[in-house]
Amino acid sequence: MNDQLLYTPFFENCLALVVTLPWLSGVVGFVLPENRSSSARVLAVGLMGLSVAAAFFIFIACWNNAPYTHQWNWFSIASHQFSVGVYLDNLSAMMVLVVTLISFLVHVYSIGYMASDDQQGRYFAMLGFFTFSMLGIVLADNLLLIFIFWELVGFCSYALIGHWFEKEAAAAAAKKAFLFNRIGDLGFLVGLLLLWANTSTFDIDQLRNLKEVFSWQTAASLCIFCGVIGKSAQFPLLTWLPDAMEGPTPVSALIHAATMVAAGVFLLARVDFLFTDQTLDVVIVTGAITALLAALAALVQNDLKKILAYSTISQLGLMVTAFGSHASEVAVLHLFTHAFFKACLFLSAGLIIHAMHEAHHEASVHNDVQDIRNLGGLRKRLPFTFVACVVSGAALAGIPFTSGFLSKDAILTSVTLWKGDDFSWRWLVLMSTFIVSFITVLYTFRLIWFVFMGKEKNTAAMSVHEPPFIMRLPVALLGVCSTWLIIAWNSLDYAGWLFNSFHTGENSHLTWMPFFSGGWVLLALATAYFLFRKGNPYQSALLLNNFYLDRAYQTIVGKPVLYLTRITTYLDRTVIDGAIHLAAYGQVALAHGLQWIDRFVLDGVVNGAASAARGVGSLTRSLQGGKIQVYILSAVMAILMFILWTLI
Amino acid sequence: MSLTNIMFYFFALVAALSAISMIFVKNVFYGALLLIVCLLSVAGIYVLSFAEFVAVVQIIIYAGGILVVIIFGIMLTSRMAGKPLLVQHGNWFPGLLVSGVMFVLLITLLSQQSFMQPSLPPQPEKQIGNIGVGLMTDFVLPFEIAGVLLLAALIGASVVASTMKSNRE
Amino acid sequence: MVPVEHILYLAALLLTAGLAIVIVKRNAIMVLLGIELMLNASNLNLIAFNRLQADKIDGQMFSLFVIVVAVCEAAVGLAIVLRVYKMYQTSVPDEVSELKD
Repeated sequence: MNDQLLYTPFFENCLALVVTLPWLSGVVGFVLPENRSSSARVLAVGLMGLSVAAAFFIFIACWNNAPYTHQWNWFSIASHQFSVGVYLDNLSAMMVLVVTLISFLVHVYSIGYMASDDQQGRYFAMLGFFTFSMLGIVLADNLLLIFIFWELVGFCSYALIGHWFEKEAAAAAAKKAFLFNRIGDLGFLVGLLLLWANTSTFDIDQLRNLKEVFSWQTAASLCIFCGVIGKSAQFPLLTWLPDAMEGPTPVSALIHAATMVAAGVFLLARVDFLFTDQTLDVVIVTGAITALLAALAALVQNDLKKILAYSTISQLGLMVTAFGSHASEVAVLHLFTHAFFKACLFLSAGLIIHAMHEAHHEASVHNDVQDIRNLGGLRKRLPFTFVACVVSGAALAGIPFTSGFLSKDAILTSVTLWKGDDFSWRWLVLMSTFIVSFITVLYTFRLIWFVFMGKEKNTAAMSVHEPPFIMRLPVALLGVCSTWLIIAWNSLDYAGWLFNSFHTGENSHLTWMPFFSGGWVLLALATAYFLFRKGNPYQSALLLNNFYLDRAYQTIVGKPVLYLTRITTYLDRTVIDGAIHLAAYGQVALAHGLQWIDRFVLDGVVNGAASAARGVGSLTRSLQGGKIQVYILSAVMAILMFILWTLI
Repeated sequence: MSLTNIMFYFFALVAALSAISMIFVKNVFYGALLLIVCLLSVAGIYVLSFAEFVAVVQIIIYAGGILVVIIFGIMLTSRMAGKPLLVQHGNWFPGLLVSGVMFVLLITLLSQQSFMQPSLPPQPEKQIGNIGVGLMTDFVLPFEIAGVLLLAALIGASVVASTMKSNRE
Repeated sequence: MVPVEHILYLAALLLTAGLAIVIVKRNAIMVLLGIELMLNASNLNLIAFNRLQADKIDGQMFSLFVIVVAVCEAAVGLAIVLRVYKMYQTSVPDEVSELKD
């Protein structure tokens, strides 16, 4: 379905460039040796910049036009043909732009942040590969291809989280992330197989045009949702994301805030036609639980990046909640805004960490730079960072005139509409969504207050200065993107130019919602001010340890599996190896037996023949022993025998 | 049974017993002495067979010459002075078997023959004179050869037994 | 008169006794004694046959020469025994077996 009039060859070339340039930067990063890493850095950033330009062009060319598709034959099994193809519609184009833009900004930022790292070639290579894999997910036109790139993204995340793999915590976190992703992907694969068994196709277009709603769709969509649970850190597979903060901060910004975790939501949006009402009920409940748990946990965290990680989980829960309320466009909207302001928040956290590291180096002090209890009063020392954090934090909290306000508005609206007018369990979901938005404001305020406000405690004696310009520029750009302009011209109506491109039905819009949510947010701000202005009011071990989910997983899953491995090891070593050893011993015994036979029987026969010959020989030889009397005896015996013989 | 018969059987018995006991003695000196006894009894048999000269020659040369020399040899070849020279017996079973078989064979063959009756000599008192005449007339060649033989044996024995180191080794 | 067979039997006995001594004894001088006994046995035979023809003296002459030969042989034999004894320090003929195979 190639619209030849609309899509020029230049467009197709740009599309190819968008995909291959990140891949090329990845290869360059691997091929060049480490002592040439500066050229690898420059090349990577340059290639990504070109990719962003191409993405811009594609976006403009493709926006609100008919979707662009192209397919190549890949392989065929029996009578089934599998193909590789591109499907470019509004959603894909927007995602392409988001991914390439944020990846480019992270590349630029990383030049400054990772300047003292000695494995920069590998870092930029994996960043490039990640971008390529992510673009593969958003551009693919069949689910099999999405699954392949899904796995590739998981692998790149593993490599990037474990970039400093010499640190044991980082290696363990990378392994954990990959494993949890894999568990989710198991469900994804089952869903794919269900889909194939019933429709014999993976193509999204063909699936979209299914005539009726089938009964197997519930099961298939539930299984595909399992993949989303793994990738987008929903309950119960959410514990990998806080641990993934062991990776470098730009990685956290790119992967675990803006893009990879959003791939789950993107997949939901892609195959939203498969989801039946029952599945959506499950989805919304999962999302609501996730959002609430993570928000509560974020409230008492002391590590800078962990607060942001739990915040990400909570926001993802909100996206999934929005999707579950039959409004996938709202989920995509929140994905879009969250990418920018969360990336900005993470990169600002990276600015703080970088500045504190340098200050500690100069002062020869070593304590945890990420612990917010060690920071305070930094607004005078790091003014730019302060402003960036305030802007993006406001977007996260949903303060009016930010993009986050609009998308949060959309979520609340859709959940309210979904709830309907009867009194049912849906009230609980609505309540929890409002509570989550309240708590979001609380922990964001707490973060900014503890880091920037108040008096300087530990850092008063050190010289703290802003990180270099190359790191501040991406933060500034992302901060600008956190304002309301990016979505709509009207700062109160979320149904702006972006939203209307996705939403095909009529706009159901609650006019009182923006004012209500604005008032709700201001109430939360006041509460936060009263709670936190004197410092940390209260601790909770339960929330700090994320409701002990990790320990629960260890006991429920880890221990039985280890027990099983012990049993199988025992079986393998004792039974199987024992059988083999027995066979070996038997063979050795047989060899000994054969040797005995050879030595005593066979050689015995030969030796016996030889000794018989020797005996006969020595017997005849003894006649000539040189003994005179024997000679005489022999002669006389011969004569006698002769005489006797003649006589008889 | 006349006296000569009794004396003949007596001498025969002595000779036989001493010969047989020579087989079983371990002392060489006893063996030599038993041989002397045997030779003397054989000489007695010679006398009873009207061969007086041979008997006397036997006594003088055999018992008085050869046996003395043999006893000298025994003394010279005994390693320990004062101790008797004892011999071992070896191959006794085949040896005795062979000897026994030969004896039985001879006896059997002899008993199957019939011999003439012995007769008396015509002039027994002129026997020695006849022997002397016969040595010089009928048997002069063996007599001379015997003399040469004795000379050769004398020289040979003295050369073999000499202890001079010349031309040896 | 004693029948001549009895002397012949005696001579046979002396002969086989001498043969036994030669084979059985492990001393060179005993071997010589055995040889002398055998020669005496032959002498006895000669004298016994001489009795059958009493007018001739052939038997007695032959036995005289036999005695002479015996003397020579005994002398030379003893000389050899003494020489061997000096060289090998032994008078056991089995130990002087350098001509063995």
